[in-house]
Amino acid sequence: MGFFVTTLIFLVVGIIASLCARICCNRGPSANLLHLTLIITATVCCWMMWAIVYLSQMKPLIVPILNESE
Amino acid sequence: MTAARCWPSMDMLRSEPMQLVQLIIPIESAHRAISYLGDLGLFQFKDLNAEKSPFQRTYATQIKRCGEMARKLRFLRDQMKRTGFLSSSWSPMGTNVNLDELEVKLGEYEAELLEMNTNTEKLQRSYNELLEYKLVLEKASQVFYSAEHNAIAQHREVEQALGEGSIDSPLLLEQEMSSEPSKQVKLGFVSGLVAREKSMTFERILFRSTRGNVYHRQVVVEEPVTDPVSGDKVEKNVFVVFYSGERAKNKILKICDAFGANRYPFPDDIGKQYQMITEVSGKLSELKTTIDIGQLHRATLLQSIGYEFEQWNLLVKKEKSIYHTLNMLSLDVTKKCLVGEGWCPTFATNQIQNVLNRATVDSNSQVGAIFQVLHTKDSPPTYFRTNKFTSAFQEIVDAYGVAKYQEANPGVYTIVTFPFLFAVMFGDWGHGICLFLATLYFILREKKLSNQKLGDIMEMAFGGRYVIMMMALFSIYTGLIYNEFFSVPFELFGRSAYDCRDSTCREASTLGLIKVRHTYPFGVDPKWHGTRSELPFLNSLKMKMSILLGVVQMNLGIILSYYNAKFFRNDLNVWYQFVPQMIFLNSLFGYLSLLIIVKWCTGSQADLYHVMIYMFLSPTDDLGENQLFMGQKFLQIALLLAALVAVPWMLFPKPFLLKKQHEERHRGQAYALLDSTEDDSFELEEHKGSRGHEEFEFSEVFVHQVIHTIEFVLGAVSNTASYLRLWALSLAHSELSSVFYEKVLLLAWGFNNIFILIIGIVVFICATVGVLLLMETLSAFLHALRLHWVEFQSKFYEGDGYKFSPFSFVSIGDDEE
Repeated sequence: MGFFVTTLIFLVVGIIASLCARICCNRGPSANLLHLTLIITATVCCWMMWAIVYLSQMKPLIVPILNESE
Repeated sequence: MTAARCWPSMDMLRSEPMQLVQLIIPIESAHRAISYLGDLGLFQFKDLNAEKSPFQRTYATQIKRCGEMARKLRFLRDQMKRTGFLSSSWSPMGTNVNLDELEVKLGEYEAELLEMNTNTEKLQRSYNELLEYKLVLEKASQVFYSAEHNAIAQHREVEQALGEGSIDSPLLLEQEMSSEPSKQVKLGFVSGLVAREKSMTFERILFRSTRGNVYHRQVVVEEPVTDPVSGDKVEKNVFVVFYSGERAKNKILKICDAFGANRYPFPDDIGKQYQMITEVSGKLSELKTTIDIGQLHRATLLQSIGYEFEQWNLLVKKEKSIYHTLNMLSLDVTKKCLVGEGWCPTFATNQIQNVLNRATVDSNSQVGAIFQVLHTKDSPPTYFRTNKFTSAFQEIVDAYGVAKYQEANPGVYTIVTFPFLFAVMFGDWGHGICLFLATLYFILREKKLSNQKLGDIMEMAFGGRYVIMMMALFSIYTGLIYNEFFSVPFELFGRSAYDCRDSTCREASTLGLIKVRHTYPFGVDPKWHGTRSELPFLNSLKMKMSILLGVVQMNLGIILSYYNAKFFRNDLNVWYQFVPQMIFLNSLFGYLSLLIIVKWCTGSQADLYHVMIYMFLSPTDDLGENQLFMGQKFLQIALLLAALVAVPWMLFPKPFLLKKQHEERHRGQAYALLDSTEDDSFELEEHKGSRGHEEFEFSEVFVHQVIHTIEFVLGAVSNTASYLRLWALSLAHSELSSVFYEKVLLLAWGFNNIFILIIGIVVFICATVGVLLLMETLSAFLHALRLHWVEFQSKFYEGDGYKFSPFSFVSIGDDEE
């Protein structure tokens, strides 16, 4: 699956998570905004980490060189 | 300092709005009002009597009373502990005991217990003495019997030697024993008990001091005897000392006293001996019953105390704190009421007013309490409404510094970024699962564990259970990305991208594999583990990842400073601090991040070190093979110029503009301020640091700005480099984990012996738990904390506020003297 498809998946997961948070713990607008911020932050952090690792492997400059014993 | 809210407010982002409030409470309802306010726990009192010593304050006697009662309670608890009673679990809100009644009750109990204790002690002592006496009676008779027997035998021998056994010689022993007393030598004797360890010395000193003119016999007592004086069980011997003469008697008595040997009288006559023994036995059983009854009585008393002890304890602590608080209010004698000042959150206004009304009603007072908001320039305390989940993260932030009133709280983002950065350094989903299970135990037994007293370290771990849970969850995620399960990779998300160049795989260990399929979809390709080029690849990946994450977090920090500036309506900060800071950071390190991403996307072989360094050294040179995209040279020159411009932009304008602002404000102060106190009948106390004219020292402000600028510029480089610790710790973790796996577990497996395997597994588990789960967790925790405190918070956080600490009874229960 390509880069953009997986990015879309992250986006969708983020949206679903925020909807779940809104449904399960709806405690007033200020608390909702806090939950939304936390979920967005978590989604962005996780996506960034995945994207960095994925991008670095797309066009590699080094390849795995196995050990002699393999 | 209010701001127009053009966006909705967020819960923990800024402190709750606080207000300074003046309370005027009539004296009769004062105690009740303070008590109810303590239950509510939302009001922080200011000490209006700070200059007075503790003895000059209004309620000093009451506090002394409470102190006396606390001492009596401590005595009772001590007695209960000695008897082995634990004060029973909370009997909540039984009968509401009055403080005066409690004082009387406590006094009675104390006197009764003291009396019982002394009586028991006396009885016990007599009991032990009687026991010793009985022992003396039993053992000494042996001595006498054998001594007399020997004496009679000798006497008979002497007689037989003298005469041939006349008819007068008595045939029966008893008659011999009752032979003329004048023939027997007049000996006095002392009998008693001496400690076995001292017995040899005792004998020796007796011998020496009486020049050998005593006859000393000792009989061993098999079981240890309870010493009446000390109450301990001591091994003793029964001794009998025969002497003649007054002086010898005195010497012996003194020596006995010196050795702590108890003396008991011993009757000569056998009949009397038996009589004494029966008498003593009778007395002993009597005493035993008396002592037992006494103990029972004491035990029942202590038990009945134990039921109510916790409640009384809490009551006394509560009362003491109420009087301490009452001491902080100033007494307005003319109007028979107490005046108090304090801070409370704005949302609590209604609750506090309700509480005051209830106090008025409950104490049947004629006059109600008055609640009045004051306007002041004092900085209010900071208050965040946290729940059990967010409070741990807020404490982490507060440990560095409490937020200034209404500045942006980094705690909001810390809830996610702190566990995330921890996980970047910890990444192993096997370890993450272990950590998660451990913390799940804490969370599931939350209610039970929060009432127990845990040790210091467990207390900290329990308090941070939600933090650790988040850390564990993120670790599982990053573990899946790094593809490490106790350092073993798995092909969970599809096929690996790498394969041999041809079907023979001849060149696998020289030239390596090649990428034949599309990129491994989630995380690091599993083929990398154990290869020779694993470290160069992973190092490059993790270093670049650290830089990228660092630049993003620092940008977040600067953006938060923008929101702060907007909130406090500080346009100066927006244009002359936020903008140049963004330009400087992003034109250098944002550009570096861009280069990293472009290099990854295009697969270019450009050397980024070279690019960055020569951007500064010779920006106009041609890039050659380090060119990543068109127009790179011009972009670099433009960014360099922007960064160079940003530095004086941060440095110079702000002090001059601040000076201009101050002069404008100063000119306006020639007119009287209109918002002085409305109510003339009450005088506000001037606090020591009250502002008259604000001082403005231009040189000070300028130096401050220079320091700030230098800190930012140098910090941009050093902080970015500091984020490389994310790489370093993650490398250490994966190497340690791989060493434990390969060199312990696989080695043990290779021997094909069940015992070695078991030993290997045990060593592996101990090493994993001790080094990786405990030490590495602490280490990564610490470094993630440092990254937050220094690199993230220095971009926007001032942290010089003080925390809202309301008068509340909640914390009193945990307070141990």
